[in-house]
Amino acid sequence: MRFDGLVLSLMWRELRGSLAGMRKRDAAWIVLGGGGLLAYGLAINVAWLVRNADWVRDAHGAWLGALALVAASGLLDGMLLARPAQKRAHARFLAALPISDDRRRAMAASAAFAIGVAPAMLSAALMLAACLAVAKPAAALWVVGTALLSFGALAAGVALRLRRPYVAPEERLALPGSAAGITLPVAPLDRSRPRWVGSWAWNLPAGRLTLSGRGVVLALALLAAGLLATVASLARASAAPAVIAGLVGGLILFMATARYHPLVSPVLRTAPLRFGRAWLRIAKLPLALSVAFFAVLAGPAVAAEPGAWTLPLSGGLGLLILNSIYAVFAAFFATAPVFAAIAFLLALALTAYETLEYGRSVLLGLAALVVFVFIRTRRRYLHG
Amino acid sequence: MADAPILAMRGLAAGYGGRPVVGGIDLTLHRGEVLGLLGANGSGKSTLIRAITGQLPAMAGSVTVGGVAMAADPVAAKAKLGLAVDAPDVPAALTGRQYLELVASIRGCAPDAWPAGDMVALLQFRPWLDRPVASYSLGTRMKVSIAAALLGAPPLLIFDEALNGLDPVVAFAMKQLLGTLAAAGHAIILSTHVVETVPVVCTRALFLADGRIAGAWDSAELAAASRAPGDFERAVMAALSLHGARAA
Repeated sequence: MRFDGLVLSLMWRELRGSLAGMRKRDAAWIVLGGGGLLAYGLAINVAWLVRNADWVRDAHGAWLGALALVAASGLLDGMLLARPAQKRAHARFLAALPISDDRRRAMAASAAFAIGVAPAMLSAALMLAACLAVAKPAAALWVVGTALLSFGALAAGVALRLRRPYVAPEERLALPGSAAGITLPVAPLDRSRPRWVGSWAWNLPAGRLTLSGRGVVLALALLAAGLLATVASLARASAAPAVIAGLVGGLILFMATARYHPLVSPVLRTAPLRFGRAWLRIAKLPLALSVAFFAVLAGPAVAAEPGAWTLPLSGGLGLLILNSIYAVFAAFFATAPVFAAIAFLLALALTAYETLEYGRSVLLGLAALVVFVFIRTRRRYLHG
Repeated sequence: MADAPILAMRGLAAGYGGRPVVGGIDLTLHRGEVLGLLGANGSGKSTLIRAITGQLPAMAGSVTVGGVAMAADPVAAKAKLGLAVDAPDVPAALTGRQYLELVASIRGCAPDAWPAGDMVALLQFRPWLDRPVASYSLGTRMKVSIAAALLGAPPLLIFDEALNGLDPVVAFAMKQLLGTLAAAGHAIILSTHVVETVPVVCTRALFLADGRIAGAWDSAELAAASRAPGDFERAVMAALSLHGARAA
């Protein structure tokens, strides 16, 4: 069919356009900084594998865990790549072409799969490197198995994302009755200057929060984790389980709900609005949710171990710091929250590892990175 | 003493990826002036407007709005301009009323603090005011965008293709409004492909080609160039053909 490669071609051209529009200095930062970090990460992992080769070679649990990680990563890749491919297959300017919905789905699937080949091959290459580093027996089998698993998970992720007919986000907002549903009291929290920016960030039709399937699952999961942690704290007379659950749950809630796309809109960028105010204001609703979740668990924590009142206090402070760091990454990757989450988690993981190796002074490096990203984002917001 | 310009550009160059799209732009705009910005697609009109509104950094030269340098104090400079954003940039999830409240809250004014009458009535979008912008047509989105740009009565008003999609009655009202706003002391930039509008509403016009000012008309020249119906259009078409031929 003559349209088969259309979506892939569109995405490729968009990528080339974005790269061409990027300042050389920014491109250099990404290539040198990102490439350097990647090379460093690979080097320390390979060095660690070589040092621990005897143990790692026969650690069956670790190898199965690596395969599970490969499968999860392939699934995530497939779902992440299918979404933009599907959007382009249903682009408004293609609406008039005589292409059926099934054909558009096939175009999106083939484009997502074609792009997903690179990360799938990377997984196989990493497995090869790990096998060579520890002299794993039957290495070829592990590498081929990893490649097959990765491609299978990628295909599953693409199929999962494309299983439903596509409805453009704007059409969904415009559908009659789209503002109906469970109305949660968002408006009173969204009236400070700039008004309604939280509803805008969350894409709430007419400011009404309608719980989606994913929202319900997240809420139930957090509720269950909170209940379990509360029971554990009270049973052991220890504040730690509730505080840890509050900290982790609060951070997950913040990461799931912080959306910074208004920062790249000309509506805010051409308005007399300081970056700091816009940044803080967009964080307000997600932060309220995150802090509320932590506060609900801090009560049982203090009740379980009244003497350890500093633990909830330091946990709350830690949550605020982690939320602030994530908000900086989310503002930088304003239109790609998944990339923000990946960058944030990688930065935390690398900092944690290096802190174990070199001590707490590494935290200064993380602070410097966060300040650098904040300044870059502010400059882009104010000056372009 | 002549009044200070609302907008001043000196040797402005701006573009993307380190490559200038517009360059060598020298321009001043005073209160009461309506500047028509003309040019073919890709001539640099939108890039110039992005540079004026602080969405693109100046690669060379400077932009000053109301005496405030955009590079030095972008927030203060942006307080002196109102841009009617493109229709797709109006937040789709908000209602028209919420969007007006959003912009008014940023500008520190009431959501009906317009410089000339009730814009909701003038632009005829009251029935849409409490519906999500996602359900609006292109023209209705532009109406909300224009109304928001006027909130707080900023001295410099910028309309980039803002007459697109407006129905004839509102387009006519909009042309009258531009005259009223200019008379009230606002400086206005109107970027448009509707060439015949320019001599009717503008006091000056610029023709951009290949990112540079390739032609200019002051009010007398505009009047002279549009004595007979279609004269100005023919002059602009000739300029477009000339630059098109050169580019080819």
